[in-house]
Amino acid sequence: MAEGLVRALDEMARQNVDVLVLGREGNARFVSGATRLWLAGTRPFAPGCVVVRETGAVHLMSATDFGVPAEIPPARLYPMSWNPANIMGAVAAIPGVSDARRIGVDGLTPLFEQLFTATFPDVQLADGEAVMRTARRVKSPAEIARIRAAISVAEDAFGVAVGALRPGVREIELKGVFEERMCQRDTTTPAFEGAFCVVEGDRPIRRLVSDRVIADGDLVAMRAGVLLDGWEGSLARTRSCGQQRAEHGDRLSRWHAAWTPLVDRCRAGALVGDLRATAGVSVHGVGLGAEALEDGSSLEPGMVVQLELEANGVLGADTLLIGDGRAQGLTAFPYAAGGD
Amino acid sequence: MTGDLDLARMRRDRHRKVVDALDAQGLTAAVLLGQPAVAYAVGARAPAADAARAAQQRMIAIVTADGEAPHLYTAFPEGVPPELPADHVHDPLPMEWPEGASALLEVLPDGPIALDEYTMPLHAALRGRQITDATAILGACKVVKTADELECIRRAQAINERAMVTVEPFVAPGVRGTELSGVFLGRIFELGASANTVDPIWQRMPRRIADGPFSVTGDVVFPTPTTSRPFAAGDVIWVDTGIDYEGYASDFGCTFVVGGPERRHRDQAARWREIVDRCLDVLKPGATAGDLVRAASAGDGRHPWLPHLYLAHGIGTNSAEMPLVGTDIGDEFDDALVLAPGMVLVFEPVVWDDGNSGFRAEEIVAVTDHGYEHLSARDGGPRG
Repeated sequence: MAEGLVRALDEMARQNVDVLVLGREGNARFVSGATRLWLAGTRPFAPGCVVVRETGAVHLMSATDFGVPAEIPPARLYPMSWNPANIMGAVAAIPGVSDARRIGVDGLTPLFEQLFTATFPDVQLADGEAVMRTARRVKSPAEIARIRAAISVAEDAFGVAVGALRPGVREIELKGVFEERMCQRDTTTPAFEGAFCVVEGDRPIRRLVSDRVIADGDLVAMRAGVLLDGWEGSLARTRSCGQQRAEHGDRLSRWHAAWTPLVDRCRAGALVGDLRATAGVSVHGVGLGAEALEDGSSLEPGMVVQLELEANGVLGADTLLIGDGRAQGLTAFPYAAGGD
Repeated sequence: MTGDLDLARMRRDRHRKVVDALDAQGLTAAVLLGQPAVAYAVGARAPAADAARAAQQRMIAIVTADGEAPHLYTAFPEGVPPELPADHVHDPLPMEWPEGASALLEVLPDGPIALDEYTMPLHAALRGRQITDATAILGACKVVKTADELECIRRAQAINERAMVTVEPFVAPGVRGTELSGVFLGRIFELGASANTVDPIWQRMPRRIADGPFSVTGDVVFPTPTTSRPFAAGDVIWVDTGIDYEGYASDFGCTFVVGGPERRHRDQAARWREIVDRCLDVLKPGATAGDLVRAASAGDGRHPWLPHLYLAHGIGTNSAEMPLVGTDIGDEFDDALVLAPGMVLVFEPVVWDDGNSGFRAEEIVAVTDHGYEHLSARDGGPRG
């Protein structure tokens, strides 16, 4: 049985959830290991994957076994449908579902809430996202290896984008350069669309690239990432285009001076909310895509987090593995010379 | 890309439609969490991202029936429409946590509201409150496009088609699907795409369904994710890609034959053309989706499309939206769906000769006052 499924089943038992009906792709991938078509953006809840605690079985919405691990036999696949009633019918027919008292869902829509209530009038709906979040939180050595592999691809493509940062290139072209290289490394799914944005004085760094032409001496904040087999590798760095201005060198140095002690604070026991209280800091979990972390939660050994600092018009982000002492940096990409 | 486009007018027209729909249903507000819905009702942009990240960084919109400017909660100030008053733009609300859900509850207007989707903390926070499905309300607004919306789709599609012209020469023995994705993604942004919305699909089709992969429906399996397996001469590749321009999706489908099409491939493409032409012959305001289904099926009585998908679908801020034609929602649904000017249809029938593979392409038209006009190139193939 896949290790992700074992952890999900344990957590279902702990939170007294009989059946999980999952719409979020990262959750479905965690319990199934299946590769399905990647789509950008939010999507409304639909029952894309079902886990039954009693049988330990994973059932997937898929018209084929392509990309589906052999542990999930074809009998546990149900086809997609534009008719929500057909989908609920397929879910209800899964062995063990009709006996459930508590069904965990990781999201809902008014329509599916109505269908759940009509199909399972005596069932209590529970927060399945809370189950999955806990199960996914601490990474196994195998999962850490997959995150490392994703970071390696991201760093390679990032390096090619940095190489293309020359006076006259447009911001959007760098986004294309990153993604083209990512694909040459056999990964066609970005974690997010890269931001390669000229820093405009002390204004907040943009997250949306424009068709602005980058000039000699511009400071450029770069953030990009990939999903390799669903696992995220991403990073951010700030670099000068062409000749670095002295003022930008100072900014990069100041950023670095703030970064080192910040990384040092990312230890087991540190409160996520405390880290976020520092201006310009963001923290989230890294795994099968970005994983939400609550302000009130503490870091613990085995967690992998993305730490990002935006300060003085400089942006940088690394992936850190939390251990017993100082966090281990999983990102190896060099910081700018003389600064960031 | 010379057509007239006024983005501010487009946002104004869409907002008015949503306000009128809320008013007609006696609702005080729509609360929107789905990013295509926010893009439609407000015109705000966020960077494209994997679903998990997109959910955590989601923008939220509250559209009120009083016709005031909508309220937008976003982490991306540069994606805010310029005409939105500053006091209607707010910091993002973390909807993954009870604190964010409570904060949203505090700013919700009194009275009956519509909502498109819940996170579980929001579901808990709204327990006991009467909620109407906002997806249905927005769907009714979205189904008929304004001229500006049609122009956005036309431009999205033109970018997609131009990028595919760049890709086409690379389709040769030994090339991998992942490489084709690289060429495509390397090109779309410089052509003006706002984002890429689906992992580009280059699926090697089997000669017969029984050759696999396993099919749950017994019919042709499509789509499957792209792999790094090299293509060989004679491989039939079904292509499906989609990009975003100012919030609007493109949808490009075609069939490549590695090394060039043979006579049987051209014959399949010609039969595909006949199916689409039969549909276009009956396409005008007042025709129903059922009329299109019957026109498409007239050849041999068999539905020439994939049973878990459709003969045609609409497109807009979602890559597939109403009108849906030929789905498993059923014949009654198709017969009740009356086509009107401004509706968009992406035709994607499939020609399959078991033993000789098949042909699939996509063609986009908008219904006009007297017939239709193309928003895509007229033909998906045959191609090299």
